[in-house]
Amino acid sequence: MIDITLEVNGASKTLSVEPRRLLADVLRHEFGMSGVHIGCAHGACGCCTVHLDGTPRLSCLTFAVQCDGASIRTVESLGGSEADHVLQQAFKSEHGLQCGYCTPGFLMTLAPFVEEMVAQKRMPEEGEIREAMSGNICRCTGYQGIVAAVRKAVTVGLDAGAA
Amino acid sequence: MKAERPKFIGARIQRFEDTRLLSGTARYIDDIVLPNMLHLNFLRAETAHATILDIDTSALADLDFPTWVFTGKDTAGLSMKAHQDVPEMQYSEQPFLAEGKVRFVGEPVAVILAEDPYKAEDAAELVFVDYDPLPVVGTMEQARDPEMPPLFDGWKGNVIVERQMKGGDLAAARAAAAHIITRTYRTQRQAGVPMEGRGVVAHYNPADRVLTVWSSTQMPHLVRTYISEELGLPESRIRVVAPDVGGGFGVKGQVYADEILIAWLAMKTGRPVKWIEDRREHLIASIHARDHEHTLEAYVSADGRLLGLKADITVDNGAYSTYPFTSAGEPGMVGKVLPGPYDFQAYEATFRAVATNKCAIGTYRGVARPSAVFSQERLMDDIAAELGIDPFEFRLKNIIRQFPYKNVLGFTYDEGSYAQSLEQMRELLAEDIAEAEVSKSSATRRVGVGIACFIEQTAHGTPDFTRRRTPIETGYIAARVDMSPDGEITIDLGLQSHGQGLETTMAQVAADALGMKPENVYVRHGDTMTTPYSVGTWGSRGGALGGGAVHIAATRIADKLRTIAAHLLQSKPDQIDLVDGRAQVRDNPGSFIEIKKIARIAQRNVEQMPDGMTPGLEAHASCDGPRDGTYANAVHAAVVEIDILTGKTKLRRFVVIEDCGTMLNPLVVDGQVRGGVVQGIGSAMLEHFIYDSECQPLTTNFADYLMPLAPEIPNIEVHHIETPTPLTPLGAKGLGEGGAIGPAAAIANAVGNALGTGVAETPLNTNAVWKLSQHIRETA
Ligand code: FES
Ligand code: FES
Repeated sequence: MIDITLEVNGASKTLSVEPRRLLADVLRHEFGMSGVHIGCAHGACGCCTVHLDGTPRLSCLTFAVQCDGASIRTVESLGGSEADHVLQQAFKSEHGLQCGYCTPGFLMTLAPFVEEMVAQKRMPEEGEIREAMSGNICRCTGYQGIVAAVRKAVTVGLDAGAA
Repeated sequence: MKAERPKFIGARIQRFEDTRLLSGTARYIDDIVLPNMLHLNFLRAETAHATILDIDTSALADLDFPTWVFTGKDTAGLSMKAHQDVPEMQYSEQPFLAEGKVRFVGEPVAVILAEDPYKAEDAAELVFVDYDPLPVVGTMEQARDPEMPPLFDGWKGNVIVERQMKGGDLAAARAAAAHIITRTYRTQRQAGVPMEGRGVVAHYNPADRVLTVWSSTQMPHLVRTYISEELGLPESRIRVVAPDVGGGFGVKGQVYADEILIAWLAMKTGRPVKWIEDRREHLIASIHARDHEHTLEAYVSADGRLLGLKADITVDNGAYSTYPFTSAGEPGMVGKVLPGPYDFQAYEATFRAVATNKCAIGTYRGVARPSAVFSQERLMDDIAAELGIDPFEFRLKNIIRQFPYKNVLGFTYDEGSYAQSLEQMRELLAEDIAEAEVSKSSATRRVGVGIACFIEQTAHGTPDFTRRRTPIETGYIAARVDMSPDGEITIDLGLQSHGQGLETTMAQVAADALGMKPENVYVRHGDTMTTPYSVGTWGSRGGALGGGAVHIAATRIADKLRTIAAHLLQSKPDQIDLVDGRAQVRDNPGSFIEIKKIARIAQRNVEQMPDGMTPGLEAHASCDGPRDGTYANAVHAAVVEIDILTGKTKLRRFVVIEDCGTMLNPLVVDGQVRGGVVQGIGSAMLEHFIYDSECQPLTTNFADYLMPLAPEIPNIEVHHIETPTPLTPLGAKGLGEGGAIGPAAAIANAVGNALGTGVAETPLNTNAVWKLSQHIRETA
């Protein structure tokens, strides 16, 4: 067992974990972050994506002990229980989700992408948006609503910047 | 006559369930955690066909943590029984844990339980199984070889079931034919593969004898019934809950042995038991789908009229029959649907399922139809090519135009927009067709256009299921609607929603009937404790029949509201309109009472109700499918661009024209169509479960089993035609599956069009297209 300290969505906790425990499992079971979903556990679907010190990472390919001292964000931190983050709202209006299982992974993958585009003050091309989500699998939506949601969130961000 | 027009049915309303799903507060099966819970790990067969000589669990005793282990000896006699009650079907059962023999790689042989899932996995590695291998039945040909040993004792060969359907005079059609075209088409083994795998949690409380089972299922009531029948518990004391379910697509539309086994284990160990499937388990041992070979022979007149069709259909069913649709379901469906949207009067189909040492075949979006339509629509193009007719022309010449239409098997089609959608599609594709024509002179880059025109029998109900003589038996969908004293509405829906948006669409239906807003309606589903008995969400039935049940129940409450309002307003019930939260007198809208006030009167101030009226605003209703269902129709079109030197195929455009009758919510309809199409694109171009000659599965993770990713998928253009059906209460036809039915055929036809060759098989991956374009490279 190894002692580690993780800061998850703003709250810090020190705990003792086996070196083999996946970050995904520790986030789900020790921190109660059930928005972290496991779709494959072999790094191929993106369902388990969280932010590790600000960068999207696959929590099924990361051991919790690798993250000692890190700051982690899960979908729960985005827009709270009202899901009022601009990208979450865009997913809703553009029908970017159906069963919702892949959704936290897509949100955590795409939220930084949206921010980046807004910072660069540009609307990404269709192909660029699709490329940005090429590590995530959605079996329900056919991706089109997700692409539209990204475009909408970038639009809102650009409009806010222009105002 | 009703004055109020639908306000919410047909509106593009954003989904209520989204906030929960987006915020991370949804509760899926793995989020069910109970005190004192044991975690289960399956030890699964590593060899496809073998006798079990010994299972050695002795090493578990040395572990420094407690474990529980069970094998087929412990569960002897417990099994899944999924039989079609016809003399042509050979009987078999699937034991909960293998008894004596294993029949496919992935079959559960033992279960190991521990207090931590990692430890359960550790422990499972210490159990040793000694197998004596048996000859493997690995292909359709081997399965039809009488020399091969049967998979089950007492069987004659490995043909599970073989039956026929026919109508009209096929010999006469053949005799009259100027052209006889014979082709064989093959669609490979694939599956729905939801992003959330399956999982089960069970808990038994001996004090009140209540068993609670959470399962990621599309059919909680059927799980309850099977548990009751197999374990001998009263259904009243079994509660099955489908929590939030992360996609189903038919994979979760079966009752699985593990759902009952885990309930049994919870009773046996006295502790809650949890099993969460991992992805490898899902890909080798949940269920597979498709895996068909069809040989079709078409009889065509000199002027291009289809006179008759003969079909020989084989499905590689794998080892076991699945509940409740059985091994007979898949081939039987092909036999039934092959006549399709075309007008001809002679047909004969022979269809069979054969047993092999592979994972069992079950349902996946569209069920047998993606394969049937692949063959049907490939055949249409092949005939058109042989006759030198344009594929649109040939279809339009043979398409059904008069409704209702009685087909060659006696099924009656309600009205659709078959010819109109074909004409409209031809216009939409004009430029692509011209470009494809020009590209024919190129030896390096070709463009191809292909279509698939099909119908889909939807909203199947009891009449259809009793004909099948399989354990499904019935098909009604029930709903209970309740208006509480504050005027808010609850729907307890017999369906389970796993992405379809039923929490929104059903609210729209109730809101219109009751003159309230969808926001006033809370839809509960998936829990047998609160919801009325129904057979689950599958088969493109939810909108049409579930919406019908909600409409009927809500209308009963509306009638009562009108009666009370008439009493209070000194009017007549048929003069009262329910609109915008008010019950108002039609010709005098100034005279009204708020609906929530009536709700209070009906349950709190009951002395104000008309004399003799029973308090309460609650109604239960069910809606069953019409005799032959209702037929949705669609035309799909694909435009591909092929690099002849590499075989790399780009899907440039995909267009859908669909007619599902009344749309409850176009946002949801478009989402269902697009999602289905993209699954169909996966079926057409990527997905294939591969087994080697020893029936070892080679596609056991997402690097080997490829599903569509965003970059390779174009936007899906969706156009609607609405032909409401008179056969369901709201005019809705089913639409959940249609998107997945056409793409394999449309894409194969596009590839065939580009390359000037027939296409006999899916998936059309780069390698397959490269092989198909060999003749162009050779002549270049
Ligand atoms: S669960 Fe981590 S990538 Fe699939
Ligand atoms: S919404 Fe179901 S997998 Fe994406």
